[in-house]
Amino acid sequence: MATDEEIAEAYADWRERCNANDRLRRMLRGWERTVHLRTTDTDTAFTVVVQAQLLEPLQAGAVGQPDLVVTATSEDFADMFWGDLNPSEKYMSGEIVLAGSQDDVMRLDAMSMVAFLDQ
Amino acid sequence: MSTSGETAHDVVVVGAGFAGLNTACILARKGVDVAVLEARPRVGGRVCTEQRPSGAVIDLGGQWIGPGQDRLQELADRYGVTTFPTYTTGHGVEVREGKHSTYGGLVPTSDPAAAAEGIEAIFDLDLASQDVSLHAPWETTDATALDDQTLGSWLAGRLESPAARAMIDTAVKGIFGAEPGELSLLYTLFYLRSGGGLMNLARTTGGAQERRFDGGAQQLALRLADELGSRVVLSAAVRAVDYGGGLVALHVDGADGERMVRARQVVIAMPPALSARIAWSPELPPARQHLAMRAPMGAVIKVHAVYDRPFWREDELNGQLVADEGALRLTFDDSPQDAAHGVLVGFVAGRQCQELERMSDAQRRQVILDDLVRAFGPRAERPIDLHEQRWCTEPFTRGGPVTIFSPGMLTSCGVALREPVGPIHWAGTETALEWTGYIDGALSSGIRAAGEVAAALGG
Repeated sequence: MATDEEIAEAYADWRERCNANDRLRRMLRGWERTVHLRTTDTDTAFTVVVQAQLLEPLQAGAVGQPDLVVTATSEDFADMFWGDLNPSEKYMSGEIVLAGSQDDVMRLDAMSMVAFLDQ
Repeated sequence: MSTSGETAHDVVVVGAGFAGLNTACILARKGVDVAVLEARPRVGGRVCTEQRPSGAVIDLGGQWIGPGQDRLQELADRYGVTTFPTYTTGHGVEVREGKHSTYGGLVPTSDPAAAAEGIEAIFDLDLASQDVSLHAPWETTDATALDDQTLGSWLAGRLESPAARAMIDTAVKGIFGAEPGELSLLYTLFYLRSGGGLMNLARTTGGAQERRFDGGAQQLALRLADELGSRVVLSAAVRAVDYGGGLVALHVDGADGERMVRARQVVIAMPPALSARIAWSPELPPARQHLAMRAPMGAVIKVHAVYDRPFWREDELNGQLVADEGALRLTFDDSPQDAAHGVLVGFVAGRQCQELERMSDAQRRQVILDDLVRAFGPRAERPIDLHEQRWCTEPFTRGGPVTIFSPGMLTSCGVALREPVGPIHWAGTETALEWTGYIDGALSSGIRAAGEVAAALGG
């Protein structure tokens, strides 16, 4: 189990790497979305806003109307943000669930794979 | 009704695949007098389930259902046919440049930078596909420029890494039974949009390979045929069609010789290339003829290797293989839900299919076994059953899994895909807007064709 603080710390690290990744910046072109992260074990929520080809800082709680909802354990969120976990593997096994339009799910899936591979 | 050995109907559907059967069922439910003529001795078209002597039940053709394939799901619900998830627990096997490794998730990861490059290219293809018109891809902005190039040339201009290219080539071969260099870029984008994108088509969980049917996919065609009863005539190959005036006359070669079937309206529910084998009188319009001549089937051998148990699961492998060499480059775990057998299903596609089709049975079998051993170890060497479904050798299919459009075809002849020619209408998954190439697309083409024919009869 990861605490909210640990998830926030891991996200900050992930965000810095993502925002410095040219490939990801290209893939974020024209895609401005609100993503809610929901933990299955600690019952907390976070909000990530993607804007101007950049990931915004993590917000506590479910803020605004989400375009996408990502559900996983707190530990999987932390491990994914630290780059220790291949999100595609967890998505395939059903341990990470993405809910949203097919296009948004495809984009988030692709971008999270690139974030993992390109670190 | 029957006159001196002839029969006549309001509608004759040629082809008892999912498209033809669905067309006929919809019309029959409306009370239309309809008959279905099927050249093979079975229904299902490119979907065929077989129980092997080993006891394993294998799907020799189309077999999966995924999210968004609502018509197929409705059909399964109608007949109470249940599904179960494709086995995905554990890691996939990657064979690249002679090296064996395992990976998690959708794409092989032994070369992460190459994988990321490949994902970006897939992502860009999927985004570009969203600009393609499903109704009329030839009217897409820059349609001619897109149709003038191949997917292969587009990839060559985009990808620096051979590993990224190999990864996409393997996926494309599995989906189309063709090399990227054989596929019009416009057609590829149309096909991808129709099925929700390449990522979606390549996926198990959340994608086109997500679930399988308990007891196989062909039973759905059998249930449709049951509804139609004696309206479905098997081993009845339509050799010629005269549609010059009055009732359409279909010349049928059957088990008991030649006979004539007449109809007010006819639905041809088969891939365009196969419709060229019918003698048409008068000749079909040039665009339709060219479509039939220049949009061939892909090339695929679907391989099933049956073992006494899914031994790869003991090594935490999920049965998926992505290889950049050998003949068998893509596999999935195809074991039954209760794992009473271990079954690997794989595809020998495109150039590799053509190469294997030139070999003897023994040579071909050895090549496939060598590939299985390279991927899954020595336990793969002795399957209790190794079945090759060689779709290119099937006289009433002649390839697979789908039709491929070479450059220039969609923009010059695409309009002829669905356009009726007098009383002749066209169905088949190739004519579908959504899930073209898939069972779901065949069903939707049947819905469209049935509506078209009903309107024509009403007029």
